[in-house]
Amino acid sequence: MIDDRIVFLLLFLAPVVSSIPIALAYKSKGWTEKLPYLSVFGIFISVLMSLYIFFVFPENQQYAYDWIPDLGINIVLITDYLSRYMGVITAVIAFFIAIYGLEYMRGDYRPSWYWFFFNLFTASMLLVVYSDNLFLLFVGWEGLGAASWGLIGHWFRDDDEIAYVGVPKRKVGPLELSWPPSFGGWRAISTIRFGDVPMFFAIAAIWVFAVDKTGKSTLNISQIEWGTLFTTIGAAGTVILLTLFLMGLLTKSAQVPFSEWLMTAMTGPTTVSALLHSATMVAAGAFVFIKVSWYIRPWELHHVPGLEIVYTFALFIGLISGLYGALAASGMLERKVLLAASTMSSLGLMFAAAAASFWIQPEPKVAAGMNVALLVAFWYMAVHAFAKASLFLVSGHLIHATHSRFLCGGIEFAKRMKTPFIVTIIATAFLVGIPPLTAYWVKSMMDEVKLHLFHHAMETGAIHLAIPIILLILTSLVYSAILAKFLSLNFIKGEKPEHEHLEGGGLMKLGYVLMASVLFVLTYHIFVLEETEGFVHAGGEILSIGVGGAIFIVYIAAIFKPRITALSKLGTFFNDRMYLPFVNDYILPKTGFFVSHLVQDYGNRGIDGFFNTKVMPGLFDRISKGIRTIQTGYLKTYIQIVLGLVMISLILASIGGMWI
Amino acid sequence: MELAMMLLALAILTLGSVGSFKYRWIGLCTAIVALVVGLAACRSLYYGVFIFAIGIINLFSLVGIRSKIKGVDYGLVGLMALATMYIANTGDFALVLAALVLVSVPTYILVMVREGGANVEVGIKYITFMVFATVLFLIGAVILAYTKNSFDGLLYILGYVMLVMGLSLEVGVAPLHEWVPDVFTSADPIPISIIASLAKIVPFFAALWILIYTASTLTSSITIFTAVLAAISMFTGNIGALTSKEHARVLAYSTVANMGYVLTCLVVVIKPTPEFIGFALMGGLLMLFANAAGKIGFFNAIKGEGAYSPLMYLLAFSFIGVPPLMGFWGKFFILSSLVKVGLFMAEAGYVYIVVAALIVINSAISIPYYIRLASELGIGWETNLTNFIAVSVVIIILITVVPPNWFFEGMRVLAQTIGIGI
Repeated sequence: MIDDRIVFLLLFLAPVVSSIPIALAYKSKGWTEKLPYLSVFGIFISVLMSLYIFFVFPENQQYAYDWIPDLGINIVLITDYLSRYMGVITAVIAFFIAIYGLEYMRGDYRPSWYWFFFNLFTASMLLVVYSDNLFLLFVGWEGLGAASWGLIGHWFRDDDEIAYVGVPKRKVGPLELSWPPSFGGWRAISTIRFGDVPMFFAIAAIWVFAVDKTGKSTLNISQIEWGTLFTTIGAAGTVILLTLFLMGLLTKSAQVPFSEWLMTAMTGPTTVSALLHSATMVAAGAFVFIKVSWYIRPWELHHVPGLEIVYTFALFIGLISGLYGALAASGMLERKVLLAASTMSSLGLMFAAAAASFWIQPEPKVAAGMNVALLVAFWYMAVHAFAKASLFLVSGHLIHATHSRFLCGGIEFAKRMKTPFIVTIIATAFLVGIPPLTAYWVKSMMDEVKLHLFHHAMETGAIHLAIPIILLILTSLVYSAILAKFLSLNFIKGEKPEHEHLEGGGLMKLGYVLMASVLFVLTYHIFVLEETEGFVHAGGEILSIGVGGAIFIVYIAAIFKPRITALSKLGTFFNDRMYLPFVNDYILPKTGFFVSHLVQDYGNRGIDGFFNTKVMPGLFDRISKGIRTIQTGYLKTYIQIVLGLVMISLILASIGGMWI
Repeated sequence: MELAMMLLALAILTLGSVGSFKYRWIGLCTAIVALVVGLAACRSLYYGVFIFAIGIINLFSLVGIRSKIKGVDYGLVGLMALATMYIANTGDFALVLAALVLVSVPTYILVMVREGGANVEVGIKYITFMVFATVLFLIGAVILAYTKNSFDGLLYILGYVMLVMGLSLEVGVAPLHEWVPDVFTSADPIPISIIASLAKIVPFFAALWILIYTASTLTSSITIFTAVLAAISMFTGNIGALTSKEHARVLAYSTVANMGYVLTCLVVVIKPTPEFIGFALMGGLLMLFANAAGKIGFFNAIKGEGAYSPLMYLLAFSFIGVPPLMGFWGKFFILSSLVKVGLFMAEAGYVYIVVAALIVINSAISIPYYIRLASELGIGWETNLTNFIAVSVVIIILITVVPPNWFFEGMRVLAQTIGIGI
């Protein structure tokens, strides 16, 4: 067995180190054409290491290496159920996308920038996935933020309209609903920072209050005695702490109302969108929520006041985001932005499923003793990752082929683009939950979880818990429609593209065919694994079959009628994302400007007056003048001053001495 | 044995000075030999090496000036350096005072040295205050020594005030600093670089020694006097330097400010409590060494009309207190001792904390003028005496790149010698 330190070092550092040469050789065209292969090789090493960890390392083993033990900041990694799977998913997806990127990014104007940040992105996510220590996790978390900024704003010159999001010159009120890449990068990093800072404080607070079994302070997620922590800080403390922590997760996962950055993140290269939407970045938020809930075990903490509020909050934020994203996507005509909105919707469902864990009691014989709500959230994340990454890669290829970022392409086009067409059918059908394809089993379990909440609501009178099942089914139906629309308007009923550039694309095709093929592997796993046995049972329930059937009908209907002209006004409203951009681009900045003007006009004038213009400079001026006035150059004056001072001091000392 | 070697060094120095009437270089050579012998006689090697280095650099800087007493001036600097070395060897009250006089008197002659003549006007101004300072210091010291045997509160306080005032006048602590800007600007930069470096160490050492030796129950009450002087000196020096244009004048006020920092070491002498004194002694000495190195470098740059720019910046950073240069460690240990005493003293502890805060504020005030000095005196590289001296002093301030734990060990030996256990 290879030493665990070497495995982890290779896992995290191989992608970064392998991308340094291309970063350094940014001036040489020759080298930047060859060195991407090295970068991809670095990610391949990570794939090997993640597989090695998956197959060879013992499960639920913690690997701890000291860093700053006094502050609980250590390199602590864990190979629990979630990390083992997620690590492989992340590395494999990044690797497939990287292969695709070899062709997609050929001839780009700054490959060094792209590959360095792409690999940093992957490495950061791997760090988030395997970290058990909250601070170490936060390091990876910030790596994700930095890399996403670099990649979303990759085409920083804003000189190619194809990289924009929104319709150029389309104005609603004072706001132009069109965003260039540089603005996209800025919107991403600024939104994320807005959540990261509270999250950082939450981690600090956890360090102050949390202890492990032995009563020692710790930052290790798996060792913290969460129940004790929440009891210590009380109901209000729990709500504040977890809300601050959730701020980081919700902004990263682009949940309402922080979703805007994700839409304009589509200004980045498509490979970035694919990675961002499947296994990194947005997935990080949901993943960390699942992981932390895994160890908080909220279902055992019903006696802790305040915890239910937080989980109810997360449940509804997730469901609202799910429906909002799906509805917004239904009005969209931009390939990638439509997919982005659908991702947001999926992430909402993941949050909602994971939050439902509060009300679900795991049973020893079901799902290997795991909480099925968390399990289903995680499995949905896995299925979604591969399906969504395939769809993004296909749309990247389509944008290449048609020179358009808007949905277009009819059946003739599909005949010439058979591979992407087939992959799109597979990816959409497998993702929306048509029986008996992969996501059907996962979605069925999700239905069961929400149904459980419904029963709970009926029994206890907590009537709000009856709503989730309705929202979930509604979201699933709209979701099915939007992906069907994506398929239809790209390959079946779309307008004929103005350009058709069909040559090449070999590596790109390889990338998304590999990606989509994993969906079959996942289906196989659902049927053979012990913990997912429940998914198969759930698929046999009458509710699931009913919902699955409805989804199938909606899917077929949307393929045949992807656009409903009568609803075009509503569509525009949805396409404008229900005017949420105003919050990001108008209300928040205006408030900020208002506050900064206030500070500038009133606060700074006082501070400036004191330090910079009036009081302090005046004082210095006077002292300086005094000091210089003494220097007359006459010995007589000096002697007078010195003698006088000495005499006065001695007299004072005598008086003081006698008094003492 | 050590005393015999010191006497041997003195003999060599005297013979050399006599010989230098015939050949001037003999003065330089014998002074160097005498310093080597003196170094061998030093009990605390770390202390000795620093004094040796400063002394040697001072000697070489004299090479660049054509003075009337050329040859003898080497002897005078050699004598100062030997006395400075010797003060750390002795635990004898009388010898400590003798060392003070031996360091003070040669500067009366050195201050008048200039190219081809004697600067009598400056000399008179300087000597007047030095004589007054030395007398005050000595009387204060004698009174304090008397109270050690038969304690009298009033006498103790009078002695303390006289000693501190004498010291202040001697080294140029505000508000008794009037002679400093005048003398620093009108005398030749080379002798001033000696007065501003080597001549500052013994007075402080002697004062610290005497105050520790005679410390009484009243000490903690009277230190407020020293603290006030230190505060006035820091602000006067820094604001004066900040608003002066002439380089020598800036350096004069910088000396006033630096002496204020070092004076705070005396504030810490409240009781012979080992760790406070240890840190204060270490901080004070490092501060004095850093001040010496910086002043030599800057004054020589004035004399040579500029020196290599990076060296000048390093000296400026050391003065400001940028780690890991020596000036930083000096301030750091002084601050540590102040804060420790402040926390130790339940009542009136805040005085010490306030003094520590004033040092930090003053360091910030000093940033602009040091940087300005470095940028104005800094020029391109030329191979000459000025740059040789600048490189030498920069090596000294760079020694503390290795964190000076080693120096603390050296201080332990030194403290034992002079009779304080730390």
